Amino acid sequence: MRRVEHVMGFPVSLRIDDEGDFDAVADAVFAWLREVDVRFSPFKPDSEVSRYGRGELAGGELSADLTEVLALCADLRGATGGAFDIRLPGRGLDPCAVVKGWSVQRAADLLTAAGARRYCLNAGGDVVVSGGPWRVGIRHPEEADQVCAVLAVTDAAVATSGGYERGDHILDGRTGRPATGLLSLTVVAPTLTEADATATAAFALGAEGPAWAAARTGCEVFAVDTTRHVLRTPGLPVT
Amino acid sequence: MKRVIPVFLLTVAGLIPVWRYHPSTGTAATTTQAAVPSAPPSPTSSSASTVASAPKVVPGTAASTVKGVFQVEVTFQGDRIASVRMLQAPHHPQTKWAIPVLIAETLKAQSARIDSVSGATVTSAGYRESLQAAIDAKGS
Repeated sequence: MRRVEHVMGFPVSLRIDDEGDFDAVADAVFAWLREVDVRFSPFKPDSEVSRYGRGELAGGELSADLTEVLALCADLRGATGGAFDIRLPGRGLDPCAVVKGWSVQRAADLLTAAGARRYCLNAGGDVVVSGGPWRVGIRHPEEADQVCAVLAVTDAAVATSGGYERGDHILDGRTGRPATGLLSLTVVAPTLTEADATATAAFALGAEGPAWAAARTGCEVFAVDTTRHVLRTPGLPVT
Repeated sequence: MKRVIPVFLLTVAGLIPVWRYHPSTGTAATTTQAAVPSAPPSPTSSSASTVASAPKVVPGTAASTVKGVFQVEVTFQGDRIASVRMLQAPHHPQTKWAIPVLIAETLKAQSARIDSVSGATVTSAGYRESLQAAIDAKGS
């Protein structure tokens, strides 16, 4: 079965190749992502994230989910020397970069719990697969209809951060200015929580990002720098 | 379908020097010398072939993690990243932190049979022109 819906501001595609009826869990997946949007969007004034960002909620009043997300963000901030930061001057609290990977991984976990064994869930270009190998292309940073590598991925996640679609939306928290040095950076990891967080944080780090991401446990890296050259780890499952 | 991949410039092996765990090395958080290999590191050795400009070596920020302090050093050839190597990595009992090894390649564009695409397709305009749109349309 296949399904595509627009959730959290991006298209989400679900493909399940197993025999059986997975309509109910597919409904649950999209319902969960819509719930995440309501609760965690910094663009919705009533969301838990917005209320916490404005100081209307204390740390002890937060849901277990948001507490978990904020802990992940704090880890990344420390691990990047502040390059990854969800609290930047002139911007409200914005944990989107972590929320996306974390929530889509949890959606994938719903599929697994429901018995799906061979599926591919793609949320705005961040991909979780079960079974495999699935052929996952890495979008060419300058040619939207082309890929610059094809990965053979089994039971893993692939996330890419780049400046090519929304402009310089990733800031280097150390300077407060747009991250420089890379056109895009892709991470393959056991979970999308790890892959997406690592890709975003590494992109914020810029030129240091590829090596930093390569040093993270379980992460394989494919990076394109601003002079259109590729740096990748030897373990990347390229085909 | 493996083709000969044009490995880009770099040093002889095209690989970044691998830093190995030295049990006796200190972990001073601020010095950039803490984890330099004892062998001659030749940090600016990426001057192979055609590049004329002198390489520029830039140390990165020392980043604290739960596992310890990481710091890398990036060698630029003009604006291009020529190599990256680890200046500091934490002591860790069961690993020699053979990191990071990065291979440099040229960027290729290809259209291949794929199941899914990783890469920002955030806006609907971007999505319409994206490969993922084509894949979804084909499958429905």
